[in-house]
Formats: sequence, C-alpha cells, structure tokens
Amino acid sequence: MKRSKTAALLLMGTAPLLLSACDRSESAAREGVYTSVETCVTQTNDRNTCQQAFDKAQKDAAATAPRFANREACEASYGKEQCAERNDGASHSFFGPLMTGFFLSQMLRNGSPMSGFNSAPAFRDSNGGWQQPAPGGAGGGVYRSGASSAMVPINTTADRAVTTSRSGFGRFGGSRGFGS
Amino acid sequence: MRRIALAERPDWRSKAAECGFGFHTIDDAPYWDESAYYAFSLREIEHDIEAPSEELHAMALDLLDGIVGNEQQLRQLAIPEPYWDWIARSWRERQPHLYGRMDFAYDGNGPAKLYELNYDTPTSLYEAAFFQWQWLEDQLARGQLPSGSDQFNSIYESLVEAFGTIARGIARPFHFAAMRDSMEDQGTVAYLRDCALQAGIDCGTLAIEDIGVSTDGRFTDLDDRVIGALFKLYPLEDMFREAFGAYLPRSGLQLIEPPWKALLSNKGILPLLWDAHRGHPNLLAAEFDDGGELPRGWVRKPLHSREGANIAMHLADGRELRTDGPYRDGPCIRQACHSLTSFDGHYPLIGSWIVGDRACGIGIREDNSLITQDSARFVPHAIVEETRGVLIA
Repeated sequence: MKRSKTAALLLMGTAPLLLSACDRSESAAREGVYTSVETCVTQTNDRNTCQQAFDKAQKDAAATAPRFANREACEASYGKEQCAERNDGASHSFFGPLMTGFFLSQMLRNGSPMSGFNSAPAFRDSNGGWQQPAPGGAGGGVYRSGASSAMVPINTTADRAVTTSRSGFGRFGGSRGFGS
Repeated sequence: MRRIALAERPDWRSKAAECGFGFHTIDDAPYWDESAYYAFSLREIEHDIEAPSEELHAMALDLLDGIVGNEQQLRQLAIPEPYWDWIARSWRERQPHLYGRMDFAYDGNGPAKLYELNYDTPTSLYEAAFFQWQWLEDQLARGQLPSGSDQFNSIYESLVEAFGTIARGIARPFHFAAMRDSMEDQGTVAYLRDCALQAGIDCGTLAIEDIGVSTDGRFTDLDDRVIGALFKLYPLEDMFREAFGAYLPRSGLQLIEPPWKALLSNKGILPLLWDAHRGHPNLLAAEFDDGGELPRGWVRKPLHSREGANIAMHLADGRELRTDGPYRDGPCIRQACHSLTSFDGHYPLIGSWIVGDRACGIGIREDNSLITQDSARFVPHAIVEETRGVLIA
C-alpha cells in the first residue's frame, strides 16, 4: 500500500468524523529529566511509563553515549568516576559516560497521558549541565544516514528577554501568503 | 496516467469544514476540485516519480558541500554575504530539515522533468496529505473507485515519523509561524503543528509579524520567551533583507527549514544540478540568465519566483507567454522549455513531496495555462491498476 494507514488530526478538526480522525481535545506535552524511576513517578504518577522510559533509555545509553578512546578523555568531559569501559559488540572497546538520568516526553490529552512517549538517556557533564544524544544517525527511516552523533543540551525551561521591537519580519507578505 | 471525471462527494464541503480545511475556495474561485481525478499505474508512480524524486533529492543535497565554500556559486545564487558563514555552519551541523516539494512535468510518457524545487516554503501540504487521502477512502467506500485503488500518499505518516526523529534536536520553545492574514499558509502550519503534536512535540503558533527581537539580539514570542526553534512558512531570502534579518546569524534561533535550504529553494540550483549531471533524464537543460533575448524553446524564471510569477516562456513554435508578479528585479535562470501536457484542456503539474529524505506522495495542481499559477486547482489522484483487455489467440 502506497498510502498512510490512517490520517488523523489532533487539533484541526472541529467535529468528529466517522473515522477516529479529527478528535479535538486539549493537549500539551509533559517533558522532564529524571534521575531515577522513583523521581519520575513522583512527578508523573505514571510508574508504568517511567519504568518503560528508563528501560529504553538504559538500553540506548551504550549505543548513543559519546565515545572516548580512553578513560582520561571521558572523565575530562564528564567528571571523575563518571565513565565506564564499554564494548560495541564487535570487540572494540571504548569509554563512555554513565547514564545519570533519563529524559521523558509525553503528550497529555485532557490531562491524561496518551499512548506512546519519547525517552532518551541523559548524561551530566562536568559542569553540571544535562545532555542527551542528538537525533538521527542510524538512517533507514525517513532521514538518510549521516546525521550527527553530537550531544545536545537539555533545556526545558525557556529563557526570557526584554523585547525591544516587533514586526521586523513580514513586510513582504500578501493576503495570499508566501507558500509555494 | 489518465484524467477521469467523477462525481463529487455530496458532503465534501461539510467534511472540509469539520477538518479545518478553510481554504478549499479562495477569492470565490474553487481551489479543491474533485470533479475529476488523475489515475496512475503503480509503475508510473514508483518508476517515473518516486524513484527519480529520491534520486534528485540526493543529487541536490550532494551539491551542498561544494556550494557552501564556493564564493562564485553563492553569488550566482544571490545569497547575501553576511549569511554565508551562517548557512555553511547550518549545513556542516546538518541542522534538521523537514520537507520539500519537487514540481514535475509528467504525462505518463517519458521521464518526469523537474521544473523546480520548492524546498523552503511549500504549501498544498494539508490537501495532499490529509484531504486527498480522505477523498480516496470515501470514494472507495462509496464504490466510486475500482476496488483496490490506492494513492501515493504516506505524507502524513512520514511527517509524524520525521518530527519524532528530529524531536530531540528541536530547541524549545518551538513555534510555527506564518503570515497572520494568509488563510492558506495558516492552514498549512496548523497541519504541520498537528503532526508535530502527534509526534509528542510541544509547540505553539505565532504570526510572523509578531516575532520580537530582544535587547541582546535574540528572537522572542509574545510572552517575551526566547524562541528556541521556529518553523517559518516565510521565505528565507525575504527574512535576509528585512529589518530583523541581520540578527539571524547570531541570535541562536534554530530555523526549520534550516538556513541551508536557501541554497536549494532557489532556481539557481537548477543550472548547478544540470552542470553536475548534464543529460540526466529527469533534468531540463538550465543556465544562469545573462539578460539577453530569450531564444525559442527557453523559459526565463527569477531565482526566487513563487506561484508561477514573472515567468517568461518562448515556445518552440514562436509563441510567447508571460506572467506578471512581484519578482521583476533580480537575477534569473533559463530552463529548456518542456511544456505541460493538456488533459482535456487542463495542465497538471505533479508536486512530489519529500519528507525528511523520503519521497512519500504527490499532489496535483492543474491550471488552464502552461504556467501553473496561484489560480491552479488541486485535483486528487489514485493508483489504479489498468485492466487491459488481453486477447488470447
């Protein structure tokens, strides 16, 4: 089959259709970094998801953690006693940071978690900042391979800044818009 | 490939209203048109459109390593110098991209010919991904299409998968922005945001005009929060020359589409592709325009023209066609003229969607002239296996 199996809408619909698409309800995402399953449960009250997210993060940690040729290089970035020797399964060994927490993102609909979640291992660098692996890398999905294997900072709270002006974009707009 | 007349679904307007399709009629002229559909064979789809789309996409991306360090090509593409390093960095970091649309001339005979890459601000996405899909399901259920009919359209699944894949690489807060008063653009970003939410990404919306800049040169939303990532349905080249453009390179703002898309959503990529792959069956000969007289058999297109504006076409038989528009100044390219084929007086242009790096569906817009403009109507399609009468002697 060359077409999508379903084509649901979450917010765009205003009334339910025959299919389960167009289901309109308030939704929001809940995201957090947790140092243990217990802290996750305290925040979310959802032991099942917390445990699954932790298990998946731990499984991904060895494959997605940054790799260092020796312990010293790893500890320089992640701190004393924070690195372990690992093996990639093809008898190549390297050093990588220990997973110090996990990231969990879930959609809530009307306050209740929906099925499915995103989770990832989180690492704390020697400056105390949280990091997680950047996406992609493996290829085979909707993106071809070659994405970076870099780490990205986890930052779940937005900075605020004093806005001095607006309307600096949009001068060339027309009523028909700019799509093409 | 055939154009087949078919009765409309009697309730399609109410379905459109229920599913947020507010722009099926634009300025009193029909835009969504299901009085007919285009029927393709599976081979036409897979062999003539899907495979070439993926190949051309890869060919275009493979040019980028060379372009970002090539001053002559950056000038040919009319990229302003203050943005060169920023664009190059975005490519080196492979800042995530989401989608694009290739436009092809194709009629079922011979290879599809690439007209252009809409790789920065493509629209007609919702109608291709969602409403066209709904049309097929409905018409199958009503028995109006041959049973087993299919559609080249996994755009929705690919969008949700793409958002899920890049979710962790998208800085927060993440906003979708379009021009406030453009119903069509607002509909497109509403749909993209819907898909992002389904992938578990928390995100909001913002009018392009409402974006603010802070004392320290960062971009803010209406709550004075520093915007982490911005999906903007607004041309990169216009942002470059607007008041806030100069802040972009040092603002820390992540853009989707990323800055490197300015190199591809630019008709200057067409001569560069032709130079690198001269004679490729899906490419038309192309060169940068020297401003001289346009010979027969060539089309002149401004680098940044959208919706078929400011196109000059000198047909092989000597006829000349011209469209008006806002892109009067600025550099152009020339492309060998390869006219759209008439199907009962309609000229369909195939929009082939690339989500992430996957060719995942098509949407067809047909106009009454050889140049597809914003007057074009969206006509659905189906994959229908032809049952040829085979006589066995």
